[in-house]
Amino acid sequence: MKTEKKESKIILFTCNWNAYSGLEAAGAEKISYSPTVYPIRLACLGRITPGIILKAFENGANGVLLLGCSEGECQYETGNKQVAEIVPETRSLLNLLGYNDNQFQLDFVDVGDGKSFKEIIQNFTNGIDEIQGNQ
Amino acid sequence: MNGLKEIIQSNRVWLCLDCGKCSSVCPITRHIVEPYTSPRLLVEMAINSGEDAILNNPLLWSCLTCNYCTEICPSQVSFSDFIQNIRVEARDQDKSPNCTHSGMMQTWSRMMSDPELKQSRLDWIEDGLQVSEDSDTVFFTGCLPYYDAAFSQLDIEGIDTTRAALKILNYLGIEPIVLKDERCCGHDQYWQGDMKTFRKLGETNLENLKSSGAKRIVTTCPECAWTIKHTYPETIGDSGMEVLHLAELLADTDLLETLPDNPAIKDKPVTYQDPCRLGRFSGVYESPRDLIQGLGFEIKEMTHNRKSSLCCGTSCWTSCGQVNKKAQVERLEEAKSTGAELLITACIKCQIHLKCAQNDPILGEDIQINIRDLTTLIAEQI
Repeated sequence: MKTEKKESKIILFTCNWNAYSGLEAAGAEKISYSPTVYPIRLACLGRITPGIILKAFENGANGVLLLGCSEGECQYETGNKQVAEIVPETRSLLNLLGYNDNQFQLDFVDVGDGKSFKEIIQNFTNGIDEIQGNQ
Repeated sequence: MNGLKEIIQSNRVWLCLDCGKCSSVCPITRHIVEPYTSPRLLVEMAINSGEDAILNNPLLWSCLTCNYCTEICPSQVSFSDFIQNIRVEARDQDKSPNCTHSGMMQTWSRMMSDPELKQSRLDWIEDGLQVSEDSDTVFFTGCLPYYDAAFSQLDIEGIDTTRAALKILNYLGIEPIVLKDERCCGHDQYWQGDMKTFRKLGETNLENLKSSGAKRIVTTCPECAWTIKHTYPETIGDSGMEVLHLAELLADTDLLETLPDNPAIKDKPVTYQDPCRLGRFSGVYESPRDLIQGLGFEIKEMTHNRKSSLCCGTSCWTSCGQVNKKAQVERLEEAKSTGAELLITACIKCQIHLKCAQNDPILGEDIQINIRDLTTLIAEQI
């Protein structure tokens, strides 16, 4: 019997700076990544709130990945600290709603590093596929 | 929905045009300086200016539905019900309030309205606490585990309260059922006019509650208690079970007589904040006070207490702003002026809102008073 492969939908929030530069670099270098990933660019990842992340899951996302600037690299000084502060709270709420830790992660990309960008996305989508049992 | 005319007729709000007692006590009116802010003026707007004017007015969402106006109304008009009815009409026309916290609470409630959602909401039940799958009592936790996660920075007693409630129930020999598929009761959805989500939440809860086989529901949340006891039967269906806030249950037991005297709290001055849904809505004023005094505390009442108690300033996670903050500061100053060392409440939302207001760095000490839940205070003595 042929089994239908369940299509994932992953929302990727990137900041406008290092992370988005990583995404652009991946594009320029023709490094492909999973078509199930839908990038949304924000001015700064410090702008994200638990409410917005929950909203993505409410609308059918299987995972939400946040990509920003590493420590000391934020264009606005404190954006990456602000986003790091909401991660534990958001994770607790998602756990209560029955989601797995693999379905929500925060990570960082260096300027123009398309290769790391792809690797992070690959690892994240693999984690989601594992949960959905469609590897 | 029935349209504005029918809402005006069914709630008999034309009576408000000749009165205005409501407007003199409204906790929001006293802090707003714009026109069309008082209950009476909102009624006048609905009658004279019609549907568009009131449905598009952001002040429609500023009413706290605290029922102080209804309490004082000489004509038995329920202004809170009038507002709720109009909000349903507004929702039907795709108008919605400004939700606080990026709509987080509304989102998790809508997510819970999916009957297929498999939550993981029982992790707070730690070793030593006894629950059962076969009991005549269900302990309804409400959204407390969620608030605990969302407001960890405010150091609120979310999970502390649910654990304390379980500890007290166990002490009384009750090992309650705690439902793994419990949903948000839908209180906020109902009062925001989101009947679609409210019905779905209520239907799932009623199904789970009925299939539990229990005869009684106990909760520490006054909003859950009111909603399951009164709003469900009026709109969705009756659970057929007795519904009690924990304070009501405990006041009928000999719990306090079995506890030893604690010299540390003997005659310590405290004050009590009546939650709107427990006080004015449910009429439970004395049970919490009896318990507080029974523990040994001395109650110093605030000027506004019992039927004239002031709301904690925000409702339904909507429209929080400077007016709400002023109401909260006013309440905290009133609590402080009693000379009490502790402000006790019996609703997690009162605690969240008042603790949030206390974060004000400028007012500082003027509004600092320790805030605790009645449930955790009792559990500490066991």
